[in-house]
Amino acid sequence: MADTTGLVEASQPGRYSVPGPPPRPRSQLVGTGFAIAAGAMAVAGALGHYMARRHASGIDPGHDWLAGQSVPNPQLVYALITLLVSVVTAHWAVWASGRGERGHTWVGMALTLVMGLAFFNMVMFSLNRMEFEIGSGEWATLAFAVTGLSLAILIVGMFYLGLMTLRSLGGSVGRDRSTPLGAAVFFWDFAVLAWAATWYVVYVVK
Amino acid sequence: MTDATTEATHSGGSAGAVPAEDPTAFGWLNTADHKRIGRLFIACSLLFALAGAIADLLVRFDLASSSDHTVLNADSFVQVFTFTRDALVFGMLIPLFLGIAIYVVPLQVGAPNIAFGRAAALSFWGWLVSAGVLVGAYIANGGPGGGFSDGVDLHLLALAGLVISLLTGAICVAVTTLTMRAPGMYMDRTPPFAWSALVTASMLVVSLGVVLGQIVILYIEHRYGPRFLGGNYGIWSRIDWMYRTPQLFIYVVPVLGVVAEIMLAAARRWVFEPLALYFTMGLVGLFGFGAWANFGITGEGDDIVDGLEGIVLVGLYAGALAGVSGLLALLGFTLWQSRNRPRPRSGAVSLTRPNTAVVAAFGAGTLIAVAALVGLIGAGVDWLQIAGRGVDGNAPLRFTTWVTGQQSLLIYGAGLLGGLAALHWWAPKIWGRRLSELAGFASLLAIGGGALLAWLGPTLSGVFTEQPQFVYGAPLLTTRYASQVDDSGAEGLSALGAVGVVIVLVGVALVVLNLLVSVAMRKGAATEADPWDGLTPEWLLPSPPPLGPAAALPELTSGTPLLDAELNGNGLDGTGAAAERDAEEVPA
Repeated sequence: MADTTGLVEASQPGRYSVPGPPPRPRSQLVGTGFAIAAGAMAVAGALGHYMARRHASGIDPGHDWLAGQSVPNPQLVYALITLLVSVVTAHWAVWASGRGERGHTWVGMALTLVMGLAFFNMVMFSLNRMEFEIGSGEWATLAFAVTGLSLAILIVGMFYLGLMTLRSLGGSVGRDRSTPLGAAVFFWDFAVLAWAATWYVVYVVK
Repeated sequence: MTDATTEATHSGGSAGAVPAEDPTAFGWLNTADHKRIGRLFIACSLLFALAGAIADLLVRFDLASSSDHTVLNADSFVQVFTFTRDALVFGMLIPLFLGIAIYVVPLQVGAPNIAFGRAAALSFWGWLVSAGVLVGAYIANGGPGGGFSDGVDLHLLALAGLVISLLTGAICVAVTTLTMRAPGMYMDRTPPFAWSALVTASMLVVSLGVVLGQIVILYIEHRYGPRFLGGNYGIWSRIDWMYRTPQLFIYVVPVLGVVAEIMLAAARRWVFEPLALYFTMGLVGLFGFGAWANFGITGEGDDIVDGLEGIVLVGLYAGALAGVSGLLALLGFTLWQSRNRPRPRSGAVSLTRPNTAVVAAFGAGTLIAVAALVGLIGAGVDWLQIAGRGVDGNAPLRFTTWVTGQQSLLIYGAGLLGGLAALHWWAPKIWGRRLSELAGFASLLAIGGGALLAWLGPTLSGVFTEQPQFVYGAPLLTTRYASQVDDSGAEGLSALGAVGVVIVLVGVALVVLNLLVSVAMRKGAATEADPWDGLTPEWLLPSPPPLGPAAALPELTSGTPLLDAELNGNGLDGTGAAAERDAEEVPA
């Protein structure tokens, strides 16, 4: 192969062979894994801070600290179930993409995104119903910060899913071409897990 | 900055099949090429080194007088104090080695470009803009302890931007090392610097992620209240673990990679147990995880950590010390093994003909070991409450200027010396020209000597003078520290540290001047592909490599292809030239 870059001196035998750029299908998946690690540490750090403050408050956790506010648990549980179902549909989409079944891929992703939107609708309803104001107290401020962080991660996850869905709409499906979608779903799994942890710590244990 | 690679692309006339990289100045703005992004990081981080050292100088001058504030005032002292740490860590130390890694790692592992080139570019521009906003926030009376509420919020947003940007760059480097190695180069054959970059990137991901969560809470708390975390004065105690040991060890792991690269090239020999090389560097990174020492969080539940925080710190320093000393012992043994090797060719790096890179690398590695040892002793003193440390009226060392000494040792000493070594070592590869050795040795002496003074002053002051838990224990009272320096010797020791920073500043200015003259003004000697007789794959490539991603890749089977070729006796070009050359140069 001719030297086109100056990087390869193929004219010198034994110095280089030129196999061409090797396929790197896992870069996006590994990169997503690192992003997940960073996000997980952010959520863990924030939840750790929340729990440390709760512990330091010296009061009965989940009662006095909430100052009489009620948490609409049924709605939040339904929201979590919606997210869990969206994980199933997301993995269905990846499975279908790996088999080259475009129709199933797109239906799976569309369902995932719709359920993501439904989740946000339900959570916003629940938060509005709670009527707690940011800055009205220590719990409200910390709950807002931790919840906001988890919701921001979910928004990033939805954006990532949407982007990779568009890519699959452009034809990036098949066994060797579904890794990007798989990476986005990997992130979505983490985002759902992060929300589940936040929900349990802030709205169940309180 | 000179764009020598542009010339190469143009004059080579062979870039037709390569995706175009705009060779004009505009190309610097929209580049996705790792070589340009790396250079941008390196150049800008050196400017932040100057800014941080100047700010540090102002703080130390203020501490050198028993009268009230002399240079700063009660309002600005805390802000300049915290800006110093921001500039030196997030402006200089992390981005300098990130920039070097972004440039060098793809070449070392035989990758066509950095993974996610656009993300790497976003990392640089995000970092630069965030750093600019951070400076603006301080100027607007923001930052920890700032009096302008919106400025404090802006500082937190800028800090989040810095963290996210550096995380993005770190992920690009880590993914490049993990997934874009040339076929045949397995992880246990990765060049030492590429491995150290992977360790640091991985540890940055898990440690800076923690601080991101903290910043979110601090921002919400400060902007919307109630300020149960202390408002603008509560910020510093919750994030200052990022700027102190053991977290600083994570930032200097790439220095260990640089040390290993240069020492092994000087030995012209690979270590007898490569896994030990990788393991020791990993150990330093692992035990540098400073979020464990974030007592701003854990201290809020005193009964959780009572008795534990001292053990945690001792363990972290001990692990880091084991890693550093193990690595240095391994490298020393390799150098000893190579004592009878033939004299290298003229210009090649060796211990018998040390240059700036070799001496700076030796100094940087030694200082990291010293920092770990001193840190271990200090943590032990705090834990065991030796000499009344930690009891009434005698603050634990980790709440005194002893911390400033540690920072000086690792940021000025190991960081800047390691950076100097890396710049001199890879300047031929990055810019195609050697840096001036005369200026290099001058800057080496200035930075090394200055760092030692900057370390000794505050360290001795922390140990021997009475310091209430001001600076690091209670940031609210930090300003009082400057006005309560007593006559127990703290003045003189602070002045000693200030003199050290002045000398460091001269050294950094010399480095910048050296780059301007040798590279920008093209006074440095143009070099061949491998001026040092290096071992690792980047020295197979032209100096500097042309812009743009490679259309073809080298087939590598190890991280030391040049050494392999030499040991096999067939040279790089299949003619046995290297073996013949060595044979000719053996003294009679």
